[in-house]
Amino acid sequence: MRAIVVKQEPTAHLEAASTLAVVVSSNEPLLFLTMDQKVIAASTSFCRAFGIDPATIPGRRLSDLGKGEWALPRLASLLKATASGSAQIDAYEIDLERPDQMTRRLVVNARQLDDGDKERIRLLLAITDVTDIRAEARLKDDLVREKAILLQEVQHRVANSLQIIASVLMQSARRVQSEEARGHLHNAHHRVMSIAAVQKQLSTSKAGKVDLSTYFTQLCESLGASMIADGERLSIAVTVDDSAVDADVSISLGLIVTELVINSLKHAFPDQSKGRITIDYHSSGKDWTLSVSDDGIGMPRGADAPKAGLGTGIVEALARNLEGTIELSDANPGTNITIRHSGAAHRQTDVPAAE
Amino acid sequence: MFRGKAVILVVEDSAIIRMSAVDLVLSAGYLALEASSAEEAVRILESRTDVDLVFTDVQMPGTMDGIRLSHYIRERWPPVRLIVASGKAMLAESHLPEGSRFFSKPYNDHAITDAIGRLLSGDAG
Repeated sequence: MRAIVVKQEPTAHLEAASTLAVVVSSNEPLLFLTMDQKVIAASTSFCRAFGIDPATIPGRRLSDLGKGEWALPRLASLLKATASGSAQIDAYEIDLERPDQMTRRLVVNARQLDDGDKERIRLLLAITDVTDIRAEARLKDDLVREKAILLQEVQHRVANSLQIIASVLMQSARRVQSEEARGHLHNAHHRVMSIAAVQKQLSTSKAGKVDLSTYFTQLCESLGASMIADGERLSIAVTVDDSAVDADVSISLGLIVTELVINSLKHAFPDQSKGRITIDYHSSGKDWTLSVSDDGIGMPRGADAPKAGLGTGIVEALARNLEGTIELSDANPGTNITIRHSGAAHRQTDVPAAE
Repeated sequence: MFRGKAVILVVEDSAIIRMSAVDLVLSAGYLALEASSAEEAVRILESRTDVDLVFTDVQMPGTMDGIRLSHYIRERWPPVRLIVASGKAMLAESHLPEGSRFFSKPYNDHAITDAIGRLLSGDAG
């Protein structure tokens, strides 16, 4: 064989020697072709990737490789155009079909190697099998989409479950005879709606953070809508900075606000012609202050003080859990309740309080 | 314009939510009809001419969801008022027939009776 090559085309063989070495050792499947699409050399990677015996390759036409699966009319015409210099194959996609094997999606690139000799134009064809990469990308896309759908599904289920709870509480409230029981059921409903408002916020936020200004505003609108009969008489104002907090923190803060606002609406304005409740929250670094104040009649003291109800218990437990201190003060007129959290003072005690 | 009490059709596949919604409608002083799917709602609307307002859920089993149902109703029975509620918080009223109201679940009962009152009195705001 050695003699034949030398005799037939001595100069071509010498010229091609370095090229052949590069082609054969290429990591990316490569074919080195004559302009009439005979294979001069194929990279080992090509033979491995497409299951072709290297010994059968030299001198064979591209269309005769393997079992003839490379006889692809479109590829042949593109290579012909490349050889004539009228076109260039850049990332051209073709499907390689072989009997009893999965169709492979290939990306081919072809270059004309022209060393000045018009009679001896060579073609370099690079073939990348992108089937697996494409499948992986598709799988990843599918997973991302699936995750989004799943999350939506979960949010939808949560909303529906909360609706069931809210509906049952309200229906019970409409049915019971006792005013006191009705009050308790309404309060329970407010608590559920307060948590539901966080859920709504979360379903529209990307980072899992709840924007307190939006949340408290929504919360107070909902409380006002169901508890204030005369909007001219009683109003709720929200003055909150642009703080955004984690969902569980916002649930605690929201429940505290809910309890305190319910309390003010119920007790602070027995016969006032006008009343206003203000919710204020601002933070600086790890410190934050939440206050709910009203301009009502103020808290009864001493013997007149009402015994602590469930609402008070909820506020105290949640404030403790948030490592906040509760201050109750006269607002002259009215009452101010402030929950203060100092990040520095509690840095070492990051342990949730027991329920 | 109403002959006595207004008639409200509640369309909701969850039995408990439907029961409570019917109770809400009744306690607000209206007459209530109920359907557990869009198909059933269409059958009821075809069988009578006195339905003033449809209060529907969005996600329901069957070939038609609450959004498609609301568009179908608007086209076939234009005078019927529409309130749509869904567990999806992001649904915009722009996806619904003009003049219909959307509430995300869990909705506030007061907000629903308020919207019913406004829609029936012809005040869309």
